[in-house]
Amino acid sequence: MVAAAKPKPARSKAKKERAKKPAAPKAARPLVDALAEAAWLEADLALAEALADFDELEGARDDADKAHAMVLLAQSLARAGRKRGLARLGILGATEPYDPSRHEYIAPGKPKTVRIKARGVARGGEILVKPRAGPSRRKKAL
Amino acid sequence: MSDWTLCIDFGTAFSKAAAAPTGAWSGFDPQTVRPLMLSGHEQQTNPFLLDSAVFVDDARILFGRAALGQAAASSDKRRLPLRSFKTLLSVSDLDRALATNAPTSVDPHRIFQMRDLIVLYLAFLLQTVERAAKADPALARVKEIRRRYAAPAWRSGDSAGMHTAVLGIFGEAEAFRAAMGDRLLAPEGLPIDVITSALPKAAPAAKPYEMDLIFEATAAASYTSIGLEDAGSHLIVVDMGAGTTDIAAIARAGQTAFELPEARVTFKQAGDFIDGVIANVVLDSAKWARSPEQKTALWTALMRQMRDIKETVFADGRAALRHEGRTLSLSMRDIERDNDFKEFIKGFERAYAQSLAVVRDDAKARGRPEVHAIAVGGGAAAPFVRALIAAKPKGGGPRVAARPATPDWAHAPSFQGNLAPVFPQLAIAIGGALAPDDMLAARAPSIPA
Ligand SMILES: Nc1ncnc2c1ncn2[C@@H]1O[C@H](COP(=O)(O)OP(=O)(O)OP(=O)(O)O)[C@@H](O)[C@H]1O
Ligand SMILES: [Mg+2]
Repeated sequence: MVAAAKPKPARSKAKKERAKKPAAPKAARPLVDALAEAAWLEADLALAEALADFDELEGARDDADKAHAMVLLAQSLARAGRKRGLARLGILGATEPYDPSRHEYIAPGKPKTVRIKARGVARGGEILVKPRAGPSRRKKAL
Repeated sequence: MSDWTLCIDFGTAFSKAAAAPTGAWSGFDPQTVRPLMLSGHEQQTNPFLLDSAVFVDDARILFGRAALGQAAASSDKRRLPLRSFKTLLSVSDLDRALATNAPTSVDPHRIFQMRDLIVLYLAFLLQTVERAAKADPALARVKEIRRRYAAPAWRSGDSAGMHTAVLGIFGEAEAFRAAMGDRLLAPEGLPIDVITSALPKAAPAAKPYEMDLIFEATAAASYTSIGLEDAGSHLIVVDMGAGTTDIAAIARAGQTAFELPEARVTFKQAGDFIDGVIANVVLDSAKWARSPEQKTALWTALMRQMRDIKETVFADGRAALRHEGRTLSLSMRDIERDNDFKEFIKGFERAYAQSLAVVRDDAKARGRPEVHAIAVGGGAAAPFVRALIAAKPKGGGPRVAARPATPDWAHAPSFQGNLAPVFPQLAIAIGGALAPDDMLAARAPSIPA
């Protein structure tokens, strides 16, 4: 059996849970759980950063502060996504033939072609969020 | 026959291990592969990676992450943890290299030879593998586990001789491990007086360790071709780790794969070198950091976050980081403009071209139309690595097709996306555990070749 480690302060919840029950049930924990736990640990950290970054963004006093905070927030979020195996889907600003199975159209009507306004998110071959698309041509400025 | 096969990838920066049921190669089921959580008990580290590090402190020796932590906390900045000791195992005059004293920056007491410190680390690694295997519910119930280790193919050509020498060192490490048990895993390290009395007794008690050898490139080739109908005839593997970038090639005839030794090229720069480039680029652009103290503080902060910085800049083309109230930014383009980086790329491209020429010649001679290229190791995601393996060679001859660093089976929905992000770094250990026996470079002593 694993020797009990010295208790350290500031442990995560998941870790406390584990430490509380050293005699884990003998049933084979599938690999997928072990992997998920590992991925979450790193993703949790990035997500925690993102939450703090978001507060900074909200509290930004000027445009420069805001821009910095935005960059950091985007980075923490992207990192959290990567650690969970999420990949972005589609190219911002690309014009494509509209396909309801691959696009979420976020304007009224049924277009022939659309323009990607926000990239989607996929994991492996599975689409979690479809790329969001709007009309392919901008309305003429008034 | 053993029930399971466990492969240790002893890396310059990180050690990894994975296990698979013996015979998993035929009738492959991705669910049965078990990468071991060597650092599963640590916080905020990738649980599959074990830092390859030893720190000789005043009265104790620490290993792994604890060694790095203690070295960073040490007030004497001239004291260094021993890292990159794996590269010693591939020098041609191994015995002499091992018999040298550890540098005084590593061992101020002047008591240890390099051999001692490597034996100590390997004992720690073996005990860590033991703990991880026991904690793994699938492995814990397995009676017989056959062991392998992955190593770069040795240049000298005397692989069998090197294998014997390495098994001797592992044997000593095993004897020491058996004597120390879980004390090796204590985060505060092992007292030096305990070591100096127990270590000399380990050598006479040692038996050659029972372990097969698989070349790292072969291991990479193994996972790439598993379960693939269209596994190509030729495969070039680029393994960018921390210490070295190893390029090697495999050709396949039917079920057996063999190495093309002339295609083996080691380029002595990799992740660690890029870390230095990035830190210098940021330091150069941080004009406010004038005093040596400011520069040192910035350097230390950069090195601490370097893996995240690299991951972000490789994936997004830029990264921002915070330091002492400032937001610093770095782009891939800044890195590409750096002269050291340009030299690095030139050397890397030359090494790859040299190896690729050998592989394509061999493919051509055997009338094969295509060479597959694959990147593994921590540097697999770097844009310059991806670009190089995707490059189409000029002129006629066999094509080159880049394969993804992560095989399709690692994307299986059953993994819920969790295996793919960590796969390239674990690729050697996983491939080594899956490879059939005829891909081995050398057998354990008790098993005739
Ligand atoms: N996601 C990532 N993005 C960029 N770099 C990374 C990433 N993960 C790890 N690295 C870098 O990869 C290197 C470690 O890779 P790896 O574990 O393959 O090396 P190793 O096997 O210990 O070394 P070697 O093969 O040279 O003995 C380090 O330089 C690390 O910073
Ligand atoms: Mg390696």
